[in-house]
Amino acid sequence: MRVRQTAGVLLASPWILTFLAFWLFPLIYSLFLGLTDYRLLQPTYSWVGFQNFINLFSDTIFLNSLKNTFIFVFGAIPVTTIISLIMALLLDKSFRGRTLFRSGFFMPSITSMVVIALIFTNLYSRGGYIFLLAQMAGFSPPGNGFLLSNKTALLSIMAMDVWMSVGYYMLLFLAGLKSIPIELYEAADVAGAGRWRKFYSITLPLLKPVTLFIIVINTIKSFQVFIEIFVMTQGKYNSSSAVYFIYELGLNRFEFGYASAAAYLLFMIIAIFSFIQFKLMKQG
Amino acid sequence: MKTKSFIPFLMIISLLGIIACSGGGRKGEPITLEWWQFWTDPAIKPTIEKIAADYETHNPGVKIRLTDLTWGNGHEKIVIAFSSGTAPDIVELGSDWILEFSSSGQLAPISKDIIADTAKFYGWPPAIYNNDIYAFPWILGTRVLYINRGLLKKTNLDSNFVPVNWEQLKKLCYKIDSLGGGIYGFGSNAAEKHTLYKKFLPFFWSNNARIVSEDGKYSVISSDKGFAALKYYKELSDSCGMVDTQRRLEDAFLAGKVGVIISGDWLLKRIRNEKIDIDFITGLIPGPEYPGKSFVGGEYLAISNKSQNKIEALKFIKYLTDRENELLFCKTNYSANPANEEATKDSFFADDPALQTFIMQLNLSRFPPADPQWVYIEDIIETMLEDVLFNGQPVAESLYKARNKIQKLIDEKRK
Repeated sequence: MRVRQTAGVLLASPWILTFLAFWLFPLIYSLFLGLTDYRLLQPTYSWVGFQNFINLFSDTIFLNSLKNTFIFVFGAIPVTTIISLIMALLLDKSFRGRTLFRSGFFMPSITSMVVIALIFTNLYSRGGYIFLLAQMAGFSPPGNGFLLSNKTALLSIMAMDVWMSVGYYMLLFLAGLKSIPIELYEAADVAGAGRWRKFYSITLPLLKPVTLFIIVINTIKSFQVFIEIFVMTQGKYNSSSAVYFIYELGLNRFEFGYASAAAYLLFMIIAIFSFIQFKLMKQG
Repeated sequence: MKTKSFIPFLMIISLLGIIACSGGGRKGEPITLEWWQFWTDPAIKPTIEKIAADYETHNPGVKIRLTDLTWGNGHEKIVIAFSSGTAPDIVELGSDWILEFSSSGQLAPISKDIIADTAKFYGWPPAIYNNDIYAFPWILGTRVLYINRGLLKKTNLDSNFVPVNWEQLKKLCYKIDSLGGGIYGFGSNAAEKHTLYKKFLPFFWSNNARIVSEDGKYSVISSDKGFAALKYYKELSDSCGMVDTQRRLEDAFLAGKVGVIISGDWLLKRIRNEKIDIDFITGLIPGPEYPGKSFVGGEYLAISNKSQNKIEALKFIKYLTDRENELLFCKTNYSANPANEEATKDSFFADDPALQTFIMQLNLSRFPPADPQWVYIEDIIETMLEDVLFNGQPVAESLYKARNKIQKLIDEKRK
């Protein structure tokens, strides 16, 4: 029995060691750094307790980045969820070319985020197709393009993110729709229920676990928004997010102590939101 | 029992290891100088290697070990190397990076060993910290005006017209802009990091405005002169400017879509290497007093404070920056602005009008203030420019806000 236990530990040790060295240790060490004023090139550092966390709450740049992150989360998630649900309902029906549409909508999800961000940077610029389309539709886009304005930069990035994500979530909704027993719809037909009634009373309640799952993973992903901002605006034009703030502080200014504190604060926010959502999921 | 017999074996292995590793640095054995540098372009890398190989030939006791860095992550690698005590003997640094390493004690002071060279080189200000010199200027880079002569000829101005003051520059840009057909007068930079302020400061400095007072105690960015410079730049940008990234502005200039841009000598190299058919002229930065002042940055060579070979490292740096090697570098790279003053007098620059413009502008260029807080001040200036140029904020108010933020930094530092 003991030999088996030792063998088990030995066999698992590569993973355990990797976990300890590259996951657990950095996690704990970064918490420790968050309580110091450590800067990479500084020879010494001192313990500051929770001062970094306190400073974050009066740091207008951080608060603005956090505000943008919340706008991103609460703006993009409902839109993404609703559009992907509508698309899934439409593509759940049988019609010619359905597979083509499904593949087409899913395509952005498997394309590199950097490539998409670069393409959209061009589309949003003055003279880009989206800019020209907006002009043709009678809108007056910002003079220098959508990404060079405080008013539209973040919204433009959010719109691109919605476009990019809906295909993936549509696929999850489609899987959810397939799992709903057909008998329920047949029973509703016998009872004389209309299309909307069936949707409200059968489809929507039975899609609740999938919907909550989508909202949870999309929330976590949206709180971590970074690549789009890095490529498209470099955090300029009031589009910086919390993760971009941490990147700028940690990897450009090497203020590891303060950046670690900001990272932990973001971690706590995500953890709280995820906890609430999982609670809701359990209730569902 | 088994464990006991294993211990002597381990000791022998360790001893052998120590003996094997302690060989380096013995008398008579070659010294290896580690050098981290950024010139990875296949056009220039062989020249770098040749200079290093020539040095080895002339100095049989020295080996140069080159490591290439990229602009994408080179800074991070250098910071990590210094903070982990594994920095190379010699490292190439951008002018705006020197201070963060010198002020944190990572670089070796070299003042007393190069005092005789200071008059022979340009570009010392960014290398100085607390009255000591920490880096040796190698290659400098300033910005000048580029004028698309194809577009200039379509206006009724002389085909060799180069503006010498702000009014003339505005007139030139307006005339080109009024050609229509998607042609813009002036290339105005979008808010790319570390770029926009470099395009504004030539106007600011040419109007004799300052960011911080001479004694370093006060923020004076919102002076009348600063206000006039920003107001002028905004007018130019708003009325006839194509707003985009530096690279895209250069593309548009080369495609005949923008009449005037401010750029560095890398554009000359690009035009030559890509064999771009364009009729253009270069000009000095215009200003209320001609010629105006431009922005200058550069590449510097510094020695790690922990290097065991400081004397040899400095000897190699002096070799790299001597007249012949600077010229060899510039000729291969087709770039102007060697830091070595003697090299700037060579006919290679004098015979080429475009390169000569850069040499002339170099004498009239400024570095950003050598201040450990510059990274924050730069951020404040860029935010101010974004507010004014792209978000419709009033010039005076934005300058005043920037002034207060910079003053706060100064006050914090003085505390």
